[in-house]
Amino acid sequence: MTSSAARGVTVKDLEHSYSEEPVLHGVSLDVSPGESIALLGPSGCGKTTLLRLIAGLEKPSSGSMTIGEEIVAGSSWVPPDRRRVGMVFQDWALFPHLSVAKNVAYGISKSPSKDAEVTAALEMMDLAGLQDRMPATLSGGQQQRVALARALAPRPGVLLLDEPFSNLDTSLRIEVRTEVHQLLADLGITSIFVTHDQDEAFIVGDRVAVMRKGRIVQTDSPQALYHHPIDQWTAEFVGTVSVLKGNAASGFANCSLGSVAIDPHLSGSVDLVVRPEQLSITAGGDAQVQAVEYYGHDSMIFVALGNDQVRVRCGPSTKFSRGDQVQVQFTSDRALAFKSD
Amino acid sequence: MTRTRAPRELRAIGLICSLAFAFPGLYLIWRNFTSGADPLGLLFDSRTLEPFWRTVRLAVLVSLSAATLGTALAWCTTRTDLPLRRLWRVLLPVPLVFPTFIGAAAFIRTLNPGGLANDVLGAIGVNETPELRGFFGAWLVLTLFCYPYVYLPVAARLRQLPGSFEQSALILGDTAPQAFRRVVLRQISGSLMAGTLLVFLYTISDFGAVQLMRYDTLTRAIESNYLARPPMAFALSLILLIFAGFVVLVERAVNRRLPEVKSRRISQPMMYPLGKWKAAATALVGGTLLFAVLAPSAALVDWAADGLLRTQRGGRPLTINFSKVIEAATNTLSSSVATGFVALLAVTPIAFLVGRYRDRIGRAAHSVVIATFAVPGILIALSLRFWTLKSGFFGDLLYDSMALLIFAYVVRFGSLAMGTALVAVKTVPDGLHDAASTLGADRWRRFRSVDLPVMRPGLLAAAGLVILSTMKELPISLIVAPIGFPTLTTRIFGSFEDAFVAEAGIMAVVLVCASALLSWFLVLRRADHL
Repeated sequence: MTSSAARGVTVKDLEHSYSEEPVLHGVSLDVSPGESIALLGPSGCGKTTLLRLIAGLEKPSSGSMTIGEEIVAGSSWVPPDRRRVGMVFQDWALFPHLSVAKNVAYGISKSPSKDAEVTAALEMMDLAGLQDRMPATLSGGQQQRVALARALAPRPGVLLLDEPFSNLDTSLRIEVRTEVHQLLADLGITSIFVTHDQDEAFIVGDRVAVMRKGRIVQTDSPQALYHHPIDQWTAEFVGTVSVLKGNAASGFANCSLGSVAIDPHLSGSVDLVVRPEQLSITAGGDAQVQAVEYYGHDSMIFVALGNDQVRVRCGPSTKFSRGDQVQVQFTSDRALAFKSD
Repeated sequence: MTRTRAPRELRAIGLICSLAFAFPGLYLIWRNFTSGADPLGLLFDSRTLEPFWRTVRLAVLVSLSAATLGTALAWCTTRTDLPLRRLWRVLLPVPLVFPTFIGAAAFIRTLNPGGLANDVLGAIGVNETPELRGFFGAWLVLTLFCYPYVYLPVAARLRQLPGSFEQSALILGDTAPQAFRRVVLRQISGSLMAGTLLVFLYTISDFGAVQLMRYDTLTRAIESNYLARPPMAFALSLILLIFAGFVVLVERAVNRRLPEVKSRRISQPMMYPLGKWKAAATALVGGTLLFAVLAPSAALVDWAADGLLRTQRGGRPLTINFSKVIEAATNTLSSSVATGFVALLAVTPIAFLVGRYRDRIGRAAHSVVIATFAVPGILIALSLRFWTLKSGFFGDLLYDSMALLIFAYVVRFGSLAMGTALVAVKTVPDGLHDAASTLGADRWRRFRSVDLPVMRPGLLAAAGLVILSTMKELPISLIVAPIGFPTLTTRIFGSFEDAFVAEAGIMAVVLVCASALLSWFLVLRRADHL
């Protein structure tokens, strides 16, 4: 099965509200053909609404949207059944009364080579032999693959995925998201997917759009997002941090870690946002270990440092335990800092 | 969901349907004040008040006894180590398949000379066979055939109630009866009230059983007055209507305040060893089944066999006219199946408006249809009968027609289909529509390929419930059915005036068997109490 021509998606100043309650405020997003974008945000931030608007399942209050060359919302309106956009739903929404093959064939019912296309889609998703089964008899992972096969069968220019892995248990989720990531990359299809899981967004997304309270706060590559978050909320939302109060002057901030290099433009009271891997500890000192969480591949040590608590990432062979007196060092060249209010 | 508005055509259909459902009740009220009589004066006349008090007395006592019996049976079969409880669970709902007037007829006939019980009692030397008449007869028959309305919901609730509730109460020092009163009763009270309301409404609207038992309740007074003294019948009807409405409102108000935790069962239900009470509990269940299932069945079979075997028994040979049986059975089948499907056509749009679109008109229409549940059949029959006599063109068109009969049935039983149809609409997740949309299906294809197949079992069950009730319906069939359109119920009922002709026995067996078969497919097979 070859992919269809991937189409880009442009969203401009999109506003939307549910019964007078605004849920999206002036959202703009530009997705290039073939790109994979993750919409990342806490629940209720409007990410699923944005996805539904792109699918055409909801009509925006204002703003415009283009898919490929076609204006689908704004000056004209294209209903979902004519947008040629594929969608994988959070609960997969497989038709319970149709077999696997008929589910996959649903979107290509008029195609003359329907049977061959269904077979190809099932083979691609490793579902050969299951075509006559009913959805309720399949495992979660299989249902997920049927949903994907069904969405891909009509060869959509854009694929939308709404929390596609959240209904799978942890070990399966990790396996499936790697598979899907590779499949989407191989197909070269434009994909937009919604998640509240930062790992998932970073793995599958070429770029990640972080959403908060109905707005896109930052759209960037995972690396840029992690290292250069636009504000403190984004920094805290993406990855683990410790926040320390500090006083900034001429490129340095004084805090419980001592003097730490920061953005020289900042002065006065600031919040330092420190990632656990930017710190290290050694035995002996004023700080005290409060708790140790051991993960196997590494460990996280919670240290009381004056009035602050910081998290320090250590290797898998750490010897520290609760109550040890330690010293914490900042080992990176510069810490993230934001003006505190 | 709120995000899409209901199509205008659907809202128009919903509006028309709700007006049609409300019409018989409204017409009845209107006629009360235009029939020339003094309705308020008649309301306080002893000729209206006496039947009213008899109705109240009967309904209260039947409700109490059915609630007690139903709850006791439910508790014994779900919470104890009663022997054979799986079998009892299958058998205890069975009395529902007997229309109460057939049950009453079976009792009366079996105790009459020539009846099975009369013969048996005679053989053991009892010559004064007791006669079932009046209040006691009506109360006994209605209790025996109505307790499953309480038994079914209470047993379902008991089985779903986690045993950890009662176990906690016992660990905290309650005895088993204390735990029942303080924990279990609170938790089943909603189901108990709802079931008891059904019994109450059934009793006040029952016509056949009280007629046969010669106990003058409102329905019987309405029937005996409607030809000779219409204003009197209207006044009686108004009392009955107001009473039914009042009871429903009280039940709603009380039930809303009851705490009923929607708990999903995670622990096994509590199981009490009966010990020395085992014999008593078995006697209760066995005795109930003896009088509510075995005795009426035996009486009916004996009655039916009587006609066929009279010669062998040394009696005067009877000619059985089988074509009469077939005619009545065909009429019953065709009218009830038609009613089932018309009811479906009427309530499905309303179910869509409520379940899919949360539409305001839909919700109003839904309330109207549900409210008609409380309107006794005899009132609908009376109202429509008089309307066709009074109004010009439409009255002439519909007078004595099948259409009017079906309409009356639909108004009477549409509410039964409403709930099930609404559940069916709600079983279609919004996600399926969204998925179908993104796969290129327009509204019509979505309805055809997603809604209909997913809803089909639910909608068929809804139609089936209506068919089941219509088959057993008596007062509407008596008053509204066109001349020359006998149904099984009207023929059986008519035969009582006719010294229980043999065909009626055969028809009763046919009706009960058909009703049993349909009940099995629709209700009992799916119910989670088995």
